Amino acid sequence: MGKDLRDFLEKLKELEPVIEIDREVRPASFEVTGILRKLEERALFPLVVFKNPLNLKNEPSPFYVISNVFATRERCALALDLPSDKANFDLSLRYAQRTKNFLKPIIVKKEDAPVKEVVVKGEDLDLRNYPIVRHHEMDPAPYIDMVVCFRDRSGSFYNTSFQRNMYKGPKKLGLFMATRHNWEICRTYEIHGEAAPVIIIIGHHPAFYLGSLNIQPYGVDDYGIIGGVMDEPLSLVASETWGEDFLVPAEAEVVIEGEVVPRIREAEAPFGEWPGYYGPQRLSHVIEVKAVTHRKEAFWQDVFVSHRENWVLGGIPKEGEIFEAVKAYVPTVKSVHFPFSGNCRLFCYISLDKQEDGDARQAALIALSTCDFIKYVIVVDGDVNPFNEGEVLWAVATRCQPQEDIDVIKWVKSSPLDPSLPGHSEGSKMIIDATMPKRRAFAKRTMVPEEVLKKIRLEDYIDEKLLPRLPKYFDSLRSL
Amino acid sequence: MAAIAWVTCPHCKGEFYCKIDDFEDSNHPLFCPYCNKNFLYKESVRIKK
Repeated sequence: MGKDLRDFLEKLKELEPVIEIDREVRPASFEVTGILRKLEERALFPLVVFKNPLNLKNEPSPFYVISNVFATRERCALALDLPSDKANFDLSLRYAQRTKNFLKPIIVKKEDAPVKEVVVKGEDLDLRNYPIVRHHEMDPAPYIDMVVCFRDRSGSFYNTSFQRNMYKGPKKLGLFMATRHNWEICRTYEIHGEAAPVIIIIGHHPAFYLGSLNIQPYGVDDYGIIGGVMDEPLSLVASETWGEDFLVPAEAEVVIEGEVVPRIREAEAPFGEWPGYYGPQRLSHVIEVKAVTHRKEAFWQDVFVSHRENWVLGGIPKEGEIFEAVKAYVPTVKSVHFPFSGNCRLFCYISLDKQEDGDARQAALIALSTCDFIKYVIVVDGDVNPFNEGEVLWAVATRCQPQEDIDVIKWVKSSPLDPSLPGHSEGSKMIIDATMPKRRAFAKRTMVPEEVLKKIRLEDYIDEKLLPRLPKYFDSLRSL
Repeated sequence: MAAIAWVTCPHCKGEFYCKIDDFEDSNHPLFCPYCNKNFLYKESVRIKK
């Protein structure tokens, strides 16, 4: 048996409380996201299992809704077999290392595939039987917001990506895709007038989902990359609809099989997206659902889109892969971070031990060319911790002269979900070089001598009982 | 983000926004997220670009 969500939950329960809510909830009436939001208001981000959700017919559902799986870096670290004290850049590096470890998937028989415990198709198929979550006030319907997978028309690779699916009818979903890999695969089918086979994977080990967010070139088989990130070959099984021509993850909780109908577009959205705004209603693709297979008492996984879980999930893969890309040309790069303030997508902080002034812009340009989500790159020296935003802004304030150190690149492809874009997906990018210049003498950062700090124990000077009672002020320069 | 327009549903007066290019000159109906009824862009009670 391969890694799955259930293994992960057992491991997690040894480390932190998993919240299990027995009370009945109506996911399609915002009750799941309402509870997650109330927790968020208290700065609480536990993994939550809703054990008695209603389906879209307001009937009890035999599924468990699970959310907030990715809301902390510590849980993502556990997913990649790291302890919680390695949840910052060590985690990003682990991710990048594992994406290089391509593992060919293995194919299992149907009877060995947990996702085939229940097979629903034909007359029995009705999406209203599932506890699909409606997230935000202006969303027009419940949405599935997990991983969508296509196989390219030549059959040479699978591509996975998080994409949103709007409930549109008992056998019908909407599908929004930005113009990236899945969109391109779908386009190749469409120009031949053919329906594109597609699956939606709802519930799997979190390393599966982190792996699906890799930013490898078009044409690389994501199932192999995901295996690398999971550190074991991904188990696959023949689909119900296309047999061995389209393999689906055997250890998933739920798989929806369907076809994207060619040359049909329908109204979809508004939908609350990762920037914290609703994306506008638009014409999007339509999926005709053919089959649903799932485990008994399956976990119906959902990402609390537009909130912390959505952001953490987006940032980690980019940090590791951009670090590797920059390191190829600027080997003194130390760390890369996508902070919450940019929804773990729009701001990219890079630290490096600069050898020459050109290093900073070179690193920034590589980051921008590796990931089109990034809008601002701030490059800092190696003494500044990119995971401490206060330090990064201090470096901008004190080491950057805007007329010399800020560049704007206009009319570049950007995320279409950025609400500030003036056009469809063309925006501008900013590079902020907040490193100390090499070309001229520069001031030195204040430091109490390190040898003195090593000798001093506060308890030798201040009453030990008094110390914990002193008010704490975490100012912007303090590493938390 | 694409250029958007706030539209108002003629059935329930609910307001939401859409991508102008997709609906302004097309026969594709909008879908009101509040009352789940369809209407054409030009039927919107108000259009704020």
